[in-house]
Amino acid sequence: MLAACSRPSGPIVIGLAGPFSQARGTSMLRAAELAVDQINARGGVRGRLLKLKPADDSGSENTALRVAEQLYADPAVVAVVGHLSSDPSKAAARVYGAGPSPLAMISPSASSPDLAGINPYFFRICPSDVQHGPQLARFAWQTLAARRAGIIYVNDDYGRGIRRAFAGEFTRLGGVVVEADPYVPETRSLEPYLSRMRLGAGIDVLLLAAERPGAELALREMQTLRLSWPVIGGDALTGIEADGALTEGVRVSSAYLPDRPEARNAAFVADYARAFQGQRPDHRGAGAYDAVHLLARTITEAGAGRQAIRDYLAKVGHGKPPFEGVTGTVAFDTNGDVPGKQVVIGVVRGGRLVSASER
Amino acid sequence: MRRIFDTIRSRIVAGLIPLSIGLVGTALLAAVTLRQMRHAVADELAGLRASSEIGSGLVAMVFDEIRAAEQYLAAPSADARQLFQAASDEAFQYARRLEALGITGEDRIAVSRLKQLNAAIQVDYSIAHALKDLGRDGEALARSAAVRPQAAEVTRLVRDLSSRQAVKAAQVADRLSAASREREKALWLLLGGIAVVGLFLARWAMLSVQGPLSRLVTAAERFGSGDLRPVTVGEMPREFRVLADAMQHMADRLRRIVGEVVGESDRIAGSAGDLSATSEQLAASSSQVSSAMVEISGSADHQRSALGTMGAGLEELRLAATEMAEAADRTAQLGAEIRTVADRHRGDVAAAGKALLDVREVVQTTSRQIGELAQLSTAIDDFVDLIKRISSQTNLLALNAAIEAARAGEHGRGFAVVAEEVRQLADESARAAEEVTRTTTLIREHMEEVTATMTAGQAKVRGIESIAEGAARGLAEIVAAVEQVEHAALRVRVAAQANRQTAERLKQQVEQVAGRATAHASSAEQVTAATQQQGASTQEMAAAAAHMLEAAEKLRGVVRGLRV
Repeated sequence: MLAACSRPSGPIVIGLAGPFSQARGTSMLRAAELAVDQINARGGVRGRLLKLKPADDSGSENTALRVAEQLYADPAVVAVVGHLSSDPSKAAARVYGAGPSPLAMISPSASSPDLAGINPYFFRICPSDVQHGPQLARFAWQTLAARRAGIIYVNDDYGRGIRRAFAGEFTRLGGVVVEADPYVPETRSLEPYLSRMRLGAGIDVLLLAAERPGAELALREMQTLRLSWPVIGGDALTGIEADGALTEGVRVSSAYLPDRPEARNAAFVADYARAFQGQRPDHRGAGAYDAVHLLARTITEAGAGRQAIRDYLAKVGHGKPPFEGVTGTVAFDTNGDVPGKQVVIGVVRGGRLVSASER
Repeated sequence: MRRIFDTIRSRIVAGLIPLSIGLVGTALLAAVTLRQMRHAVADELAGLRASSEIGSGLVAMVFDEIRAAEQYLAAPSADARQLFQAASDEAFQYARRLEALGITGEDRIAVSRLKQLNAAIQVDYSIAHALKDLGRDGEALARSAAVRPQAAEVTRLVRDLSSRQAVKAAQVADRLSAASREREKALWLLLGGIAVVGLFLARWAMLSVQGPLSRLVTAAERFGSGDLRPVTVGEMPREFRVLADAMQHMADRLRRIVGEVVGESDRIAGSAGDLSATSEQLAASSSQVSSAMVEISGSADHQRSALGTMGAGLEELRLAATEMAEAADRTAQLGAEIRTVADRHRGDVAAAGKALLDVREVVQTTSRQIGELAQLSTAIDDFVDLIKRISSQTNLLALNAAIEAARAGEHGRGFAVVAEEVRQLADESARAAEEVTRTTTLIREHMEEVTATMTAGQAKVRGIESIAEGAARGLAEIVAAVEQVEHAALRVRVAAQANRQTAERLKQQVEQVAGRATAHASSAEQVTAATQQQGASTQEMAAAAAHMLEAAEKLRGVVRGLRV
């Protein structure tokens, strides 16, 4: 009797999965916690508190699979916010979207085009790479007036996706991709690529379709080689602004910049700074924050059942009102994508990522 | 439910439908099973083929990639570089496709490692190419050498993957064969179930025919043995119910006819009883008539003896008158004696008159009773008419029954015999009634005779009365004469002469009266004889009534054999 009565009054559990042991996962974890605290401070959802169940997937597919199976098996978990990047999200989506009681997942920042419509239980707050690559190409061509581009890409789905999308658009605009060179996380030096790019006519823009460590490696070696090409990168570079002078002036495409002008976002950034020693959230944090608030609204209106939550989410933007979050307006298409969201280009200025237009 | 299955046809249809459904279902199940197995085999084979194709494609591409890369390292050219780029992109696509196959466990780790190795090989060669382009051949060579163990690992991983696929194929084959065994077992069970259901339904249909049929036969045998009471045959198929209803209908008709026959025989018996009672009444009346006649006869004797006594007196008177003529002086004494005698005779004459009055009364009573008897015999006629009507009606009913029995065929044969019995009994009743009519006519004739005799007797009695009155008057005259003798002794001789003449005339008259009394007595005896004859007729009638009663009882006995 006691157990039966205490059960519904207990907290509603939301899984939170990402590489929390790594720097890129920090903002996501913090923002999600902030959102939950705010919601609980207002009395929770349907008279019950929200509770996060964080699970570290280390950014690896195998770990993500294991973590996903654990979250799926816990009947208290009603939905998952995560995973952070594309490959773990792809692996985990296979777990969440199958079996007798599927679980909806909302990724804050997994941008691979492969994820679009991977199954009916996958949703994401961020635009896909298909939107990032062309945006970067147009920025390089128009704003930077670049005509010869060099690309260093991480040799995985993400890097190749950005490379292909950028090269397609840049070539279409009339530019030349001089060379596209791959690397893997184990690669210790990119110097041969950079040296070769310097030969002949050289390049006038370098696209780092890379993760943050690879980008940092390239930037350090550029510094060593005294190269000063304008550097642009995808949203995987977000966080790089913390590296100080090395990254000053690097342009990063992003679904979200903390200096977005909306009052709602300003309040979020201020709350975040207050809660975490003056830190600023990144696009992952903002995405996770929106994902948690969206789930809270969903549970309020549809109840705390796994299927009810999924069915409600699928209607957000068509049938149910779109969700106005700090990252902008969230309205899902049938693939769980947010086609209405725009990619913006930010620039690192004084250790901060700000809108390129601020310059 | 009962309503739906109330015909044999519907029961057979109801039995065949589930059987057909079961058989069709089994066939469908078998077809579906075969189809599923085919699809499962096709899917598994497609999966195996895809993974083996992709695996070998990946290995081929990795080697293409290595060849192109080595070629570039040997002699850098745009062609070789493009070839390397294309091969590495292709290999990457193969790795992705391998990943997309949805493999799990050990295979997933192997595939993910393959992807990593492929990516690393590409990167190593890309850097070697860059070094070669930069003219740093030594570094490029060292770099390309690092590829070799990775290439070997790729080959090993793909080989392992293939062998695991082969094991998996064997497992799949086992699983499919186990599944097919399961399905086979299920199909056999289903077929067995259908067979059991079929047997059960067949038995059900047979029982639904046999049970009602045997009940109908029992009912027909009962009717045949004369038990015509309504039979409850219970639930039965509609085809049998039509037959059962026809039998019930026949039994109803027979029962009604038998009921009427019983009623009629009761009425005949009642009539016969009435007739016999009437006969007894008649006999009683006859005996009354007889006793009255005996009384009449007795009275006539008495009258005759009284007249004899009077004759003797008159003789004495004649003798006395003669003596008176001879002895005049004893006349007064004799006169006194004469008066005494005359007084005594007057009393006797009065007594005789009184006796005659009694006779007249008895005769009147008798004739009234005979009239009543005639009326009663008319009632007998009415009864006989009734009996005749009843017997002719019974005859007609028996004929109808015979026709119905013939129509019922084999089952009506028993009743046809009964109907014939009834008809014969009706004929017998008619004959008995005829006999009664004849007897009654005879009785009536006898009664008319008796009535005529009685009327004659009455007239005669009235004559005797007037004679008696005359005698009384004569005696009074004697007394007056004797007084004249007493008063006028002188004229005794003359008077004695006259007296003698008168006495002679008186004697003559008395003899006449005596003759009449004798005639009267013989008439009474005649009446008695007629009455005795009537009594015999009445007994005959009673016997006829008894015969009729017996016939009615017999009829009743025959009908009682039929239970309704």
